[in-house]
Amino acid sequence: MVIGKSVKRRDLPEKLTGNAKYTADIKLPGMLHGKILRSVYPFAHINSIDSSKTLKLPGVASILTPFDVPLGNVALDMSILDTTVRFVGDEVAAVAATDEDIAQEAIELLDVNYSPLPFVLNAEEALKLDAPKVHETGNLIGGEPIVLMRGDVEEGFRNCDYIFDETFTTPAHSGSALEPRAVIAMWEDDFLTIWKCSRGVHSDRKNISNALSMDPNKIRVIGPHLGGGFGNKDESRLASIVAILAYRAGRPVKIEFSREEEFIAGRCRHSTSTQMKIGVSRAGKISAIQVQTIMNTGAYLASGPGVIRRAGQAALYLYRCPNVRYEGYLVYTNRPSAGSYRALGAPQGHFALEVMVDKIAHSLGMDPLDFRLMNHVDIVGQPGIRVTPPSEIVDTQPVEGGIPFSSNGLRECLELGSKAIQWRNIKGFKKSDSGVKKTGIGMSMFIYRGGPGGEAQARLKLNYDGTVQLITGLMDVGEGATTVLCQIAANELSIPYDAVHATFADTHYTPNAPVTAGSSATFSTGLAVQRAAGLLKSKIISFASSNFGVRPDDLRLKDGYVYEDSSSNANILLSEIGHLTRETPLQTNVSLMPGSKDFIINSFGAHFVRVEIDVVTGQLEILQYVAAHDSGQILNPSLAANQVEGGISQMLGFTLTEEMIIDDFTGGIVNPRYLEHKSPTILDIPDIEVIFADVLDPEGPFGAKALGELPSIGVAPAIANAIHDAIGIWVNDLPASPNRIAELLDNS
Amino acid sequence: MDKAAHTTIALDVNGDNYRISVDHRWTLLRVLRDSLDLTGAKRGCDRGECGACTVILDGKSVYACQILVMQVGQRKVRTIEGIGTLANLHPIQQAFLDNDGAQCGYCSPGFILATKALLDSTIAPSEDQIKRALSGVICRCAAYSRIIESAKASIETLDEKSVNSTG
Repeated sequence: MVIGKSVKRRDLPEKLTGNAKYTADIKLPGMLHGKILRSVYPFAHINSIDSSKTLKLPGVASILTPFDVPLGNVALDMSILDTTVRFVGDEVAAVAATDEDIAQEAIELLDVNYSPLPFVLNAEEALKLDAPKVHETGNLIGGEPIVLMRGDVEEGFRNCDYIFDETFTTPAHSGSALEPRAVIAMWEDDFLTIWKCSRGVHSDRKNISNALSMDPNKIRVIGPHLGGGFGNKDESRLASIVAILAYRAGRPVKIEFSREEEFIAGRCRHSTSTQMKIGVSRAGKISAIQVQTIMNTGAYLASGPGVIRRAGQAALYLYRCPNVRYEGYLVYTNRPSAGSYRALGAPQGHFALEVMVDKIAHSLGMDPLDFRLMNHVDIVGQPGIRVTPPSEIVDTQPVEGGIPFSSNGLRECLELGSKAIQWRNIKGFKKSDSGVKKTGIGMSMFIYRGGPGGEAQARLKLNYDGTVQLITGLMDVGEGATTVLCQIAANELSIPYDAVHATFADTHYTPNAPVTAGSSATFSTGLAVQRAAGLLKSKIISFASSNFGVRPDDLRLKDGYVYEDSSSNANILLSEIGHLTRETPLQTNVSLMPGSKDFIINSFGAHFVRVEIDVVTGQLEILQYVAAHDSGQILNPSLAANQVEGGISQMLGFTLTEEMIIDDFTGGIVNPRYLEHKSPTILDIPDIEVIFADVLDPEGPFGAKALGELPSIGVAPAIANAIHDAIGIWVNDLPASPNRIAELLDNS
Repeated sequence: MDKAAHTTIALDVNGDNYRISVDHRWTLLRVLRDSLDLTGAKRGCDRGECGACTVILDGKSVYACQILVMQVGQRKVRTIEGIGTLANLHPIQQAFLDNDGAQCGYCSPGFILATKALLDSTIAPSEDQIKRALSGVICRCAAYSRIIESAKASIETLDEKSVNSTG
């Protein structure tokens, strides 16, 4: 069994020796370097661009402006280049030249004539009737809020003893992956090859082919190693620009973003304002939850609809409650575009809900752990009646009640985590903090999609040397999908892990694959790999049976041999079969739609934290962090723990320090740098204890469920609740920076 | 095209001697990546904030993006390409492999070189010394817990190795 073992990561030796090639590391003969000119106004019409000086600069090879760009959209609301720019940093024009210094000089010589327009940065302002319209369709995306509801909240509020009503806010912050975006485009006649920072080469190819009105078969997209994505790097505007520059120049072109560009023109997390109203009984039973979230998507939609949807999931499903209503407003403004960032709206939605729940428990005189143990959703799911027809796959973010979960380890997470941090002892103990340092303990729990994503495909082939080739269009984004999928194939085929080779992330050699998103890779592509491996095993056995005259029922695959059950002598090496089939290799191709018609597939977790706060400076130190997760069977414990520790450590930034600060007068981001955006460093990281609940999901590959995004969800509310426990102050607005804590203390 | 001065300089990188013509404005990072094709040093910010470009200069870990190539002179530059190979990992690289001290790997060369510079100059550093020595490199996947474990483990493997060879 290689499942459940911490086998070594496939990609690490290359990465640790500097051999791994990331997009920016690739250099082609004759390659030019491009630069992008960016808008200095938050909202403006471009009247003209005079490029005469640029054209005279020796070394300039090609130029692209909105006045000579081919028609084509890179997204629903975004053309390749536009004569209207919608945020400070929006793409205006691009130049390719023999080196990057010349390219830089060349864009500075472009003379742009702008007509600045009145602009709006704040989502609430943008919803007003007289606000400037960022797009002609209006600032409220879809023209109305998204409304998701179950039961009747009005009745729920009529039948409760207490109503709590509060507002919470979270800022825009950037994932700012260490690798800035880069794209290389090369033409050979009418065939285009693109190397790009990617999260899904097949979706990139589709988008680029749409934008450039090209046959997708004339485009090859390759995803080299990715230097961090966190949900980002799925857009194709940059790729389209580079492709056109290369076409016009007749030479390959590379563009690399600077760190500032990565912050501003990359995609940040959506800022939110959430009003939360909850009705409870005296005994602490929740009877109604009503939530309204206003979310700032900035200048473009990107993955906004998915993000606003997921921001409501906590309220709709984490607690057992018959009456829930979620209303989400996704709003255009002239801020840099937000996009998908680890767990999409879930961290924002959970922050509001989980702090609110602690306030309720506190007001009722209940222990927050007991309150959650009493109210959390269990395996039965929500009360109510199933609406989805029985023949359809159940959504992983359902609204309706009456559908059970395939597995639900939430209670186990609460119990294991609280035990590990000694919740009962610490909570029950009267604190004797004296002086300026106060300690506190807090917790949160969370729910997220369990792994079914889009249609998944996998191809497996027996190589002539007896090894197996795993071929998938998936992109390993640095989390280790290559490793885990090879483990799944090896396990199913009963061959050594090292006997599985992987081909990933190249549209030329791989079947269609979804974007590596929604923590779906292990579950969805894993299921396809498992099934393809099972089929390949049958093919191998049936080949061995007919060629060696043994009944297939008597044959087993083990350690790279085909064994005959009754005899220990009749071992056939897989390499023999591989050799015999080298003309027409044994292979299987599986395509499936992951998901269940009977169950909701979700992952769960609970986080516990102890903090110490200096009441003079507002400085917070984390003393202990315990993360208990239900992600079903853990396929590779070391990789899984790495994801949990990393997710928590990354989101300490969201919780305590990070914020993209905008200048209200110019619309520019004032801190597009690591030092000022304040990303966590190695000195900020506490000891984190990771616990996995003993859960086997009946739907997932070898019992596994989603993991990657979940650790990022519980951090902010657990810490905010610990802050209250320490100093008696509720943090409703993130980040809980020393300044904010000190200010709240001053005002209390 | 350019009025910028070019000079031919000698560089010692990983024990290899180079003689190349450089623009005076170029950083060591740019020369490593663009002129010498040593792309193990990564460009993360180009302003001395992230440490992805960390190299060792005469035994000290430095940001290659903050050093003009003209300042290097006779000093010996050591990049990740000069630390170990795929066939023969350096004990520090082996420790990072064994302990999963990475996710996307973009920061790995920086962390490994910062660890090497520390261990070359400090015998048995404490966890606090390790953290401080590595604090100039950012990991956005925030795999810090495992990076610390990897650095700690590499002290042990190096100790074992030093019995047999000088490494």
